[in-house]
Amino acid sequence: MPATIEMQNLTVQLGNRTILNQLNGALSGRCIGLLGPNGSGKSTLINTLLGFYEPVAGAARIFGKEVKSHLRELRAAIGYMPESDAFIADMTGVRFVRYMAELSGLPRGEAMERAHEAFFYVGLGEARYRKLGTYSLGMKQLAKLAQAIAHGPKLVLLDEPTNGLDPEARIRMLQLVREIRDTGEVSVLISSHLLRDIEECCDQVLILKDGRIAALCNLEEERKAHLKFLELEVTQGNGFLESVRGLGCECASFGAGRVRIVLPDNIDLRQIYRTAAEHEVQIRRMNYRRDTLEDIFLKAMAGTPQVAPVQQGSANGSL
Amino acid sequence: MAVYKRTYKAYHGQLTPAWSRFTVLTRYGLSTLFNSRPFTAYTVLCFLPFLIGLAYIYIVHSAAAQAVLGVGKTIPGTVNNVWFLSFLGFEAGMGFILAAWGGPGMITKDFANHSVQLYLSRPISRTEYLLGKVSVLAALLSCTTWIPALVLFFVKAELQGNGWLWENLWIAGAILVGCLIWIAMISLVSMAVAVWVKWRIAATALMLGIFFLLPALGAVLDAILRTQWGSLINFTHMITIVWAHLFRLKALERHAAGFDVVPLWAAWASLLSLCTACFWLLDRKLRAREVERA
Repeated sequence: MPATIEMQNLTVQLGNRTILNQLNGALSGRCIGLLGPNGSGKSTLINTLLGFYEPVAGAARIFGKEVKSHLRELRAAIGYMPESDAFIADMTGVRFVRYMAELSGLPRGEAMERAHEAFFYVGLGEARYRKLGTYSLGMKQLAKLAQAIAHGPKLVLLDEPTNGLDPEARIRMLQLVREIRDTGEVSVLISSHLLRDIEECCDQVLILKDGRIAALCNLEEERKAHLKFLELEVTQGNGFLESVRGLGCECASFGAGRVRIVLPDNIDLRQIYRTAAEHEVQIRRMNYRRDTLEDIFLKAMAGTPQVAPVQQGSANGSL
Repeated sequence: MAVYKRTYKAYHGQLTPAWSRFTVLTRYGLSTLFNSRPFTAYTVLCFLPFLIGLAYIYIVHSAAAQAVLGVGKTIPGTVNNVWFLSFLGFEAGMGFILAAWGGPGMITKDFANHSVQLYLSRPISRTEYLLGKVSVLAALLSCTTWIPALVLFFVKAELQGNGWLWENLWIAGAILVGCLIWIAMISLVSMAVAVWVKWRIAATALMLGIFFLLPALGAVLDAILRTQWGSLINFTHMITIVWAHLFRLKALERHAAGFDVVPLWAAWASLLSLCTACFWLLDRKLRAREVERA
């Protein structure tokens, strides 16, 4: 079965600037997170997948079909929720979604039926006959989601879906994304600045930095790996870190006595206490935690972006 | 994704033919335009010249109607190529207001609401998007120009009889071709200015400027340079020159009406230049995403 999204030396230039630089990789998760700082190329990648921008080199494939040569076919199979407000203000919600579904090829009757269903599904059933211009920000986001799923796409591209939402609306939006993902009938690509959103929904993450892939990892595998992280705050002690390394742990110091240690399975926590005692190091604070997306993200941001093909899980297990 | 189940379900039903998708834009565009009562009222008003023309043709051919109205044989004019040209000129003027009123708004609204990206993320191309929007104007302007003109032509043919239809069939061709050129030009200008300025009021003003201020500028150029080539930017006049040839006006008639200020080829070149500029603008500006150049 082909990957949901494949990139092969994908390079996109806007004007004279190279926005995406030789991206390589295959994304096959049911829910793929797209992370990166502002200007890293997240939206450009989505726009390229939609065929809005043409690559100057390389190619992007969706479900094994090249975007450039199968644009119409692929667009029919994609639902897109843009980041910015995008709607027709003087149209009622249900009419707008029906309109978009008809443009995707649904017959009038089916489009109407699915527009109503989509509105009820996202929780806007009671507001479906109100004009979109009168919707709150949260309602507009949900209406955008409704138009993205009304025609039953195989891939949904969500650009910052939780932007501007209050906590309750954010939870609702993420719950909807998870529900859509769990049907198994649709793949989801979410672009977001919020690591927590991605962590809650996605099983695969692509991190971009300066238009290059900084990390591409499978969160499911990360979770399965159960890497144990210790965050310590210690008094300065000569040789403590070296001794911990001698035990077979990876560790890094962040200054002011802050130390982060990766515990392999065969190392017991008591051995760390013992080593600290041997070096007369006081442990002032200890936080026992698993690897998080934040760690992966920070590592990716600190490292040099990769141009060469990346392997899944490449960001795992090192500090 | 049934309402009562509130669960997501993919769609596996039939799809409409790909070629017909642009008609969705046209249908919704027309529906949106006719949501405005003043616009609907004005559209109805555009049929007034047709009704007057119809009544005129009937009266000309009905002795009973002439007797009732007491006009006898004093009723002026004959229904010929010049009559149809005048009728189209009047209808075109009313149609221009219709296009300037309804045309730019169809696209500027999409830009204002950032919804162009939503349209173009669907299986429709930029050309189809444009075709869908232009079809709205084309449908409206057809209903107020060549369709009523052809109805009048056939009513006249029916009432006149004696082979009038076959002798004057070229008038029907002139009506059709002349109107289609005019509709294409007006629609393209309307869409191009809308895509360019992205603000409805400014787009309408610009459209009025192209058809009313440019002729004034052309007249000024003519006066200063003592030439007649300034008329080339008077696009209304240029299309009238094309019409005058299509309706086979005699040289004397063309001269009297000022339809020979520039040769026919120059009029065509002027109109083609305008259309090319519109196509260029549309190609350059009608995009799902605008690229900010550093």
